[in-house]
Amino acid sequence: MTVWTPSDDGHADLTSHDTFLNGPPHNTFARLRRDDPVHWTDYSAGQGFWSVTRHADILELNGKPDLLSSARGIRMEDQTYEEYLARRTFQETDAPDHMMTRVKVAKAFSKPVIAQFEKVIRDLCGPILDDAFAKGRFDATKEIARQLPMRMLGRIVGLPDEDLAWLVEKGDALIANTDPDFTQHVLDKMTTDEFRMMPFNSPAGAELFVYAKEMMEKKAASGDTSGILHLLLQPGPDGSVMPEHEFRNFFCLLVAAGNDTTRYSIAAGIQALCHQPELLGQIQRGEVNETMADEIIRWASPTTYFRRTATRDFDYHGKQVRAGDKVLYWFASGNRDDSAFLEPFKVDLTRNPNRHISFGQGGPHVCLGMWLARLEVRVLFEELAKRLRSIEPAGEQKFLRSNFIGGVKELPVRVTLQ
Amino acid sequence: MKATWILPDGHEISAEVPEGLNMMQAAVANNIPNVVGECGGNLSCATCHVYVDEAWAAKTGDVGDFEDPMLDVAEAERRPTSRLSCQIKMSPALDGLVLIVPQP
Ligand code: HEM
Ligand code: FES
Repeated sequence: MTVWTPSDDGHADLTSHDTFLNGPPHNTFARLRRDDPVHWTDYSAGQGFWSVTRHADILELNGKPDLLSSARGIRMEDQTYEEYLARRTFQETDAPDHMMTRVKVAKAFSKPVIAQFEKVIRDLCGPILDDAFAKGRFDATKEIARQLPMRMLGRIVGLPDEDLAWLVEKGDALIANTDPDFTQHVLDKMTTDEFRMMPFNSPAGAELFVYAKEMMEKKAASGDTSGILHLLLQPGPDGSVMPEHEFRNFFCLLVAAGNDTTRYSIAAGIQALCHQPELLGQIQRGEVNETMADEIIRWASPTTYFRRTATRDFDYHGKQVRAGDKVLYWFASGNRDDSAFLEPFKVDLTRNPNRHISFGQGGPHVCLGMWLARLEVRVLFEELAKRLRSIEPAGEQKFLRSNFIGGVKELPVRVTLQ
Repeated sequence: MKATWILPDGHEISAEVPEGLNMMQAAVANNIPNVVGECGGNLSCATCHVYVDEAWAAKTGDVGDFEDPMLDVAEAERRPTSRLSCQIKMSPALDGLVLIVPQP
């Protein structure tokens, strides 16, 4: 049985969030990869853009940050320079500014440092899985996938337990800002521009700013060194300490970047287990511990695209890209490219090598949290497999209303335990 | 031009590497295990970490300003001969280069 089959007519509107209510429009991506690998789309809400959809092309262009800049915005939507300055994080900068921050935070998120948190993550997974499984039939996104990422991030950063539920809520409102289930301020339906200057255009962003500042002061005052926060606040290679506004921005970015992405990876993995029953046994037999997280994250492709802006004119696959044009890298499409993956629509937990691009591989902004995400996904599925005898769909799955974050937001399942 | 990678188990892989290609790209092209290069040679991932054979260390030049802190991020221990291989470009002076792949 296949996990899920795309239903778009091959000419879906990529600018419409509603398009993604039926899952990513993979028939459209397949057509673009085949016939029109650098595709122009007009955009009713602003300047049109180019879509790059082939795996090899995304890797190649992402490796040329001097030609395709992150410093004019990284989403489809246009931004004024004023908005850009108010909201940008280091993710929206180019070298050398980008590297100045990246080297300060890289150690805290490195594979060896993150690996020390394996047990902490495992201990968080247990009770959440047990609570959900006790219900027998439940929404796996809500009861499992939604619960873990912010709690795990909280533990890794070193935040107090009593704040974790609040963080789950704020994290939701922050980035799922085009789905009415998660925010009252649905971005593309807003008429006022009251939130334009707020981090992530959202009141939740403003609240997280305040929280980050207070938490930083509290931890400094009490000398608390749990988690990686103190690593972030140590002087960098040039001797400078991260200033408060930069830390505040960075903290918000962590919540935005680490929450939905990991959640929808977990959800996609559970979805796959429901439809390919052989996967559960493979995990239980310990055959796929090293390779499964990357395959689950490839399958999920939680950030469907990121955007760049051309810094000068260039020709690519016969198209003339002009300086100032927006160029989108559709990672979700590259991850289903059959010139890079054998049977891309099948989940194969043994896939190795697995050159997926879910983390924005090939460029300087490659996901800072990738070791954390991989660890979280692996540990969660190990713990899940230990407990389960079977898992199957128990109703219709629903996708998030967003062309930027791809995810199953409702996933009814039925389980039996070992 | 030729380069050789010595794997953690002692096994050696040699390959022709064109001038100008960086040694991360060369490793990926030759499927050298444990050299991944996830940031495409942009100093953001340290998954291209190698040790340069003593005899070649001086010829490969100095560790760069951003390369230095990123070497502390690599999975395997840092040694005096540690380099991010995306920062070493093949050139006639490096013909015959020997790189040691770290044990992860
Ligand atoms: C499966 C889960 C995740 C996926 C699919 C994912 C995806 C991505 C992608 C595609 C990028 C590159 C953006 C670009 O090219 O402009 C990125 C960057 C980033 N991610 Fe993740 N991410 C995940 C989890 C996390 C987690 C858990 C954290 C932090 C706790 C995190 C923090 C970041 C940060 C800070 C950046 C910006 C890095 C930079 O600009 O140098 N991510 N992520
Ligand atoms: S390839 Fe990422 S640092 Fe060399």
